[in-house]
Order: sequence, then structure tokens, then C-alpha cells
Amino acid sequence: MMDQQAETTISAASVTTTGTKATRALGIVCLAGTALLVFLGLIGTPEDEVQRDTVRILYIHAPAAWVAYLAFGVTALASVFYLWKRTRSLTWDRIAGASAEIGVLFTAITLATGMIWGHLSWGVYWTWDARLTTTALLFVLFLGYLALRRMPADPHVRAKRAAILGIIAFIDVPIVHQSVEWWRTLHQDATVLRRDLQVQIEGTMLFTLFLGFVVFTLIYAWLLLHRTRIAVMEDALDEHGLELALEERRAEGVPDGAPEGLATT
Amino acid sequence: MNDAGWILGAYVIVLGGIALYAIRIVTRGRSLAKQLPDEDKTWT
Amino acid sequence: MFRDAALIAGKDLRIEARSRVATNQIAPFALLVLILFAFALDPDRGILTRATAGLFWVTVLFCTLLAVQRAFSIESADGNRDALRLTALDPAGIFLGKAAAIALELLGLEVLLLLGVVVLYDASLDSAGLLILTALAATAGLASAGTLYGVLAAGLRVRETLLPLLLLPVVAPVLIGSTRAFEAALSGSPSDGWPWVGLLSVFALVYLALGLVAFGPLLEES
Repeated sequence: MMDQQAETTISAASVTTTGTKATRALGIVCLAGTALLVFLGLIGTPEDEVQRDTVRILYIHAPAAWVAYLAFGVTALASVFYLWKRTRSLTWDRIAGASAEIGVLFTAITLATGMIWGHLSWGVYWTWDARLTTTALLFVLFLGYLALRRMPADPHVRAKRAAILGIIAFIDVPIVHQSVEWWRTLHQDATVLRRDLQVQIEGTMLFTLFLGFVVFTLIYAWLLLHRTRIAVMEDALDEHGLELALEERRAEGVPDGAPEGLATT
Repeated sequence: MNDAGWILGAYVIVLGGIALYAIRIVTRGRSLAKQLPDEDKTWT
Repeated sequence: MFRDAALIAGKDLRIEARSRVATNQIAPFALLVLILFAFALDPDRGILTRATAGLFWVTVLFCTLLAVQRAFSIESADGNRDALRLTALDPAGIFLGKAAAIALELLGLEVLLLLGVVVLYDASLDSAGLLILTALAATAGLASAGTLYGVLAAGLRVRETLLPLLLLPVVAPVLIGSTRAFEAALSGSPSDGWPWVGLLSVFALVYLALGLVAFGPLLEES
């Protein structure tokens, strides 16, 4: 791999984070947007006629659900790009994995906020409606995807396996959703069926909801950039981490000015 | 605010969860970056 | 492709005939699960009879896991996977053959389980046509998805724990559809069940297609 002496020793590495000017700017926008969202969500908007203050959870629950689906969509798309010979590159694989991890986080958030909403609105933490059930299954599906990615293997072997799994899992989601939808609509009576959002969204509420979607999407982008770069480094560490460690060891043992009689490979 | 505890709790879970994850990946990024030479960092 | 499939299916079934793992281990396991459900739920309050459809198919799902594990563990012995790749058999045919063998084993188990629920849960088998078609469509889906995920997880040391986690969420629609169809059949209103057979057939076709396409690339890795 590295058949010449490494020019950069560890202490001379000048890049010490996964951040760049761009991500820092993005991060600041995210923070500002989140602050505004929280202010509007908790204070700046009125309570809903029917749902009263419970509607405030909507401002973070719906965007979280959106990001979860977006993240898994990105995973599936990146998987396709990896498998397609003309665009094959491990970068796509790393994006897929990073996006899936973020997706799992936001799915957990969606489920948690959904349960709180359910408790406040209907007195139950869970109902087996299509959306909630599909989200729970999505959670488990992609936990399995992440488990598969952790299996030790050659990067391309892992990438191919994960890519196929990622695409299949994504295809499965609409099938699961439809099945649960049909299943549950058979058993629900009319009043229960309309458990959906009985919210009059207008004015500042609509703006806050829209803001939520935008802010969460930006947060997703920020997280994805950082997490993908970590994946790049993790793969690099797997590839020549041992060599780097050996060099470091040897560098420790060499007094300053020693000749290059000490071979590094 | 009605049910203030639950609603604030929801916000804490969401933002706290995201923040914790963000901190974790930034920290991990730093520790990995320390171990690798610059040419491995393809975003620079 | 079909000739290769027949070859592989024949091989797997012959191995089964000689080793009798499905008959000696998976079948008793299936009956055991039915019995355990009776321990867990109250047999005297009619719960078992009402829940027969669901319990039946959950048991079938467990058996699918075992059958798939078994189908791929016979390939990992003695460098079989490499031998398989060297035979230049069409990978799609290999997929079809393995899936067919698994499907046949599952169908046999399902017949046994039907007898089991008649005896143990006091179920009455009306609408046999609906029952049979449901079982065929569901089994096709289970076998296809199982074979695909089996090769995905094959060769990994933690296959036994990973396969259920990967496969079971994916076949959730099969569980939903087959249970609803069986419920419709067992409760004497079969017309409700036929749409579910449609869903099961779509699922089976989708996974058959996915398997035919993806099995080859996955087989190449080990």
C-alpha cells in the first residue's frame, strides 16, 4: 500500500476534524433555525382548537418522520449508484451507511414523539395504524441493515451486500405500509379512522411546520456530511491503520537525526 | 401550557437526541482525524 | 435455468431425504410451538381457536427460519459454495432450485401444522380452496425472500442471529396477508380472504424477481 515513507507524521496532520468552512456555516444556520423553531413551536404559535397544546409536538414529529424517510431514500439511492457499474465507488457505500444510521436515529425520534402525541391525544401510547406500524418495522429493518454493515468483510463485499439489502428494505416499505393499511382499515370503525390530524393549520402554525421541515433537512445534511467523512476515515483506518501504528511505533524508537537504515516496510 | 411536561419532554428528546448524536460524531471525527494522515481526508 | 433449478432442488431434497432434518427436527419443533402457544394462552377460553390463523402462520415463520438456515448450512460445508460457483450453473437457477426445495419442505410442514391445529386447537377447515391457495402464495413468498436473505447472511459467522432480524420484518406482509386469508377461510367468509391472496401473490412475484436478479452477485462473495 504505502511503499514510500509517509511524509506526514501524525503530529503534523493539519486537518483535525470532519468540519470545513461550509459545514461550519451550515451548522450555524441549523442552530439559528432550531432556535427559531423552538421559539415558535413552544411560544410563538397559538394552541390548536381541537388539539390545544399537543399540536406543538407536530412541529418536530412530522419533520423527524420526513427526515427518516428521506434518509432511507438516500440510502437506497446511494445503494443503486454503488451497484451501477458506471458510478461504482465506495463513496456511495459510505453515504448509504451514514444515511441509514441517521435514519435510524430519526425513526426512533419519530416513534418517541408519536407515542407522546398518542398518549396526550388519545390516551394510548400505541395504535396499530399503518403509519406507526410501518415506522416501527422500518426501524427494525434498518437496524438489521446496520447490523449487516458491521460484519467484518472486504469493503466492496460489505458494500455490495449492504447495497442489495438497502434497496430491498426500501422496496419493502410500501408493501408493508399497504398491507398494514388494508389490514387495519378492515377493523377500524369510522370514528377511529379519522384519528388523523384534526388540526386547522394556518398562519404562523403553517409557517412553523414548514420551518421545521426545512431546519430538519438542513440538520440531516450537516449530520450526513460529518458521518460520511467519518466513514471515509474508518475505512482508511481499516485499510492501513496497522501500517500507521507500526510507523508511529518505529518513530518513537528512533532518536532525532538517525539515518534511514531503519526500514519502514 | 397544558401538558407542558410532556411537550417539553418531547422537545428535549428530539433536540437532545440530535445534539448527543452530533457531539458523538464530531468527537469521533476528531479522534479519527488525529490517527490518520491528511491524504486520507478527501474533503480537504 | 429451469434445468439447473431442478438439479439444485433435487440435490437439496435428496440431502433432506437422507439427513431427515426437516422431518426429525423442524416438524417436531413446529408441533412444539403449537403446544407452547397453548401453554401461553388459555386453551379453555376459545382463544386458541380464534387465534388459530395467527398462531399457525407465526409457527410457519419460525420454521422458515430453520429451513433457510439449514438450506445454507449445507452449502458452507466442505467448500461447497466454491464448488457451486465452479459448476457454472445459472445463479438464477440455483436460486430457483433452493427456493423450490425450501418451499416444498414448508408446504409439507404446513400440512402437518394444519392437522395440528385441527387436533389441538379445534379448528375446522372450511373453504379448503382458499386455504390451499393462500398457503401456496404465502409459501412462495417466504421461500423466495428466505432464500435471498439466506444467501445475504450466508458465510457470516453470526448468521443464526442476523437472519431472523433481517428476514422477519421483510416477511411481515406475508404474515398479515396469510393470517387474514386464513381467518376468512376458517370463519366461513372466504370472500374476504381472496384480496389477501392477491397481496401474497404480488409479494411472492416481487421477491422471486428480486431473488433471480440479486442471488448471483451475492453468491460471488463469501
